[in-house]
Amino acid sequence: MYIASVVVTICSNIIAVIGLALLTGYTGMFSLGHAGFMCIGAYGAVLLNRYLMVPYVFALILGGFAAVIVSLIIGYPTLRNKLRGDYFAICMLGFGTVVRLILNNMNNPITNGALGITNIPKLTSLWSALLFMAVLVYFMWNFVNSQYGKNCVAIQQQEVAAEMMGVSIVRTKLLSLAISAFYCGVAGGLLGFWLQYIAPASFSDTRSNDFLATLVTGGTNSITGPLLAAIFLTTMLEYLRFLVNWRLVVYGLLYILIMRFRPEGIMGYKEFSLKKTIQFFKEFPQNKVKIKEKWTRFRAERKKKTNGRRENCE
Amino acid sequence: MNNSDNALKVDDLVIRFGGLCAIDNVSMHINKGEFVGLIGPNGAGKTTFFNSITGNIIPTEGTITYRGESLIKKSPDKISHMGISRTFQNIRIFPKMTVLENVCLPIHSKPTYNFFSAMLGLPSVKKEDKRIQEKALDYLHRLGIEEYKDHQAGALAYGLQRRLEIARALAADLSLLLLDEPAAGMNNDECNDLVELLKGIHRDFNLSIMLIEHHIDVVLKLCSRIYVLNLGKLLAEGSPQEIQSNPDVIRAYLGERRKRNE
Repeated sequence: MYIASVVVTICSNIIAVIGLALLTGYTGMFSLGHAGFMCIGAYGAVLLNRYLMVPYVFALILGGFAAVIVSLIIGYPTLRNKLRGDYFAICMLGFGTVVRLILNNMNNPITNGALGITNIPKLTSLWSALLFMAVLVYFMWNFVNSQYGKNCVAIQQQEVAAEMMGVSIVRTKLLSLAISAFYCGVAGGLLGFWLQYIAPASFSDTRSNDFLATLVTGGTNSITGPLLAAIFLTTMLEYLRFLVNWRLVVYGLLYILIMRFRPEGIMGYKEFSLKKTIQFFKEFPQNKVKIKEKWTRFRAERKKKTNGRRENCE
Repeated sequence: MNNSDNALKVDDLVIRFGGLCAIDNVSMHINKGEFVGLIGPNGAGKTTFFNSITGNIIPTEGTITYRGESLIKKSPDKISHMGISRTFQNIRIFPKMTVLENVCLPIHSKPTYNFFSAMLGLPSVKKEDKRIQEKALDYLHRLGIEEYKDHQAGALAYGLQRRLEIARALAADLSLLLLDEPAAGMNNDECNDLVELLKGIHRDFNLSIMLIEHHIDVVLKLCSRIYVLNLGKLLAEGSPQEIQSNPDVIRAYLGERRKRNE
């Protein structure tokens, strides 16, 4: 049961992080508020199931669409006015906080304010979570490799040129935001029906930051990277439970190391391929030499750099 | 001159950035199939002029029409779909994409299938992608950079990146090409290659081309008509011979004391 719980959490995290990967990794727009979409998706799915008797699968999907509608409402004015980079991220940060605070302060019997909704039927099973994850990852994989995905990447790399080549900036960004909101919404619903309890506090800014950190760890412009990072980081967090609050320190340390030594993330601009990995280990003796060569070159360059700096100072 | 011959027509264009008048009452036109040069000292407003045509800068006053349709306040992507494409002074390729993907991009900037089929990865989507790649390969072949198709664009040599930018502009299904200093940083041999290349493109693709260039011999070899901008004002217009012997142009290029907004 414990392992199942971890696996479902991983699945939910993967779905959310993959959604964010499209927006942040591929389209190049940072968001600090995707927990807000997750929150809307979870509340939407649970309330639809409870009061309108919508079956589980449809409730999840409709919860996702609720997040899409909200994302369009927030996205259209911000993206139309060419809010980009940090400004967009801060706007989303505000959005995430607003969603949480509104739900916190709505004291009615339906959403139940800060106490949240309890007694949700346990409809998510291990298998349904895995199935949802697999299907959504497959869809995203197809999407980023299609014309739409390529247009997103073009915007991330050279927005001016992309626009001149005929890519509609507002429409493409909005589409990317809406899809990522859908993914986060579904992830929220999935988690809600598993934990049987949702409250505004479980969708705090920390969660948004965790998604972003997982994504950056895994690597931008990659689907398999964030996927592996989500698996790795969620499991690690469970393993480090005995450290109590100190485990967050380990987390932070890990991010610092990644930013220092591999700023593009574990799989930045690459996809994980089983074939290549197997081949790598088959030819391990040769590759060992290659890695050694690379390492010595890296060392030499570092040395040159520091020496150069010293000379400049003198 | 018949009005329908004008591919692009710019009338009384004024662009002000605050107090600075970057373009001051400039009128020009490009006929269908014409190769026009635009020269002028640094800061004359040439690139600003291009930016106003492609919709990056909204002019303060004046009109720009392309085939009888106004371009004012149209967004750059709409203008691109009308058949106007450009290259940039400082290269703006997509550095982390492959060369082939770079050239594919303008072809599918308006995706040719809907996004549900894209997500499902239908066979028709794969087929469509393949068709576009083949189309893009033709352009790469035409520019002689086919062998680099799988290279990362940002890792290409400078001259090849310039060629890639031209290939990408051509792939946008265009009728008017705006070239912003394509020969910048090239030596004489490379310039001559470029001249031949542009001549071929002009002939084969049946284009109107406007060229900004500082290598004066490139301009003289290619253009049938030349405009000279100086300090935002149109200084002269005419055939290469006329421009070469125009005393105003010589003065502007050899450096007279500059006075703005007299």
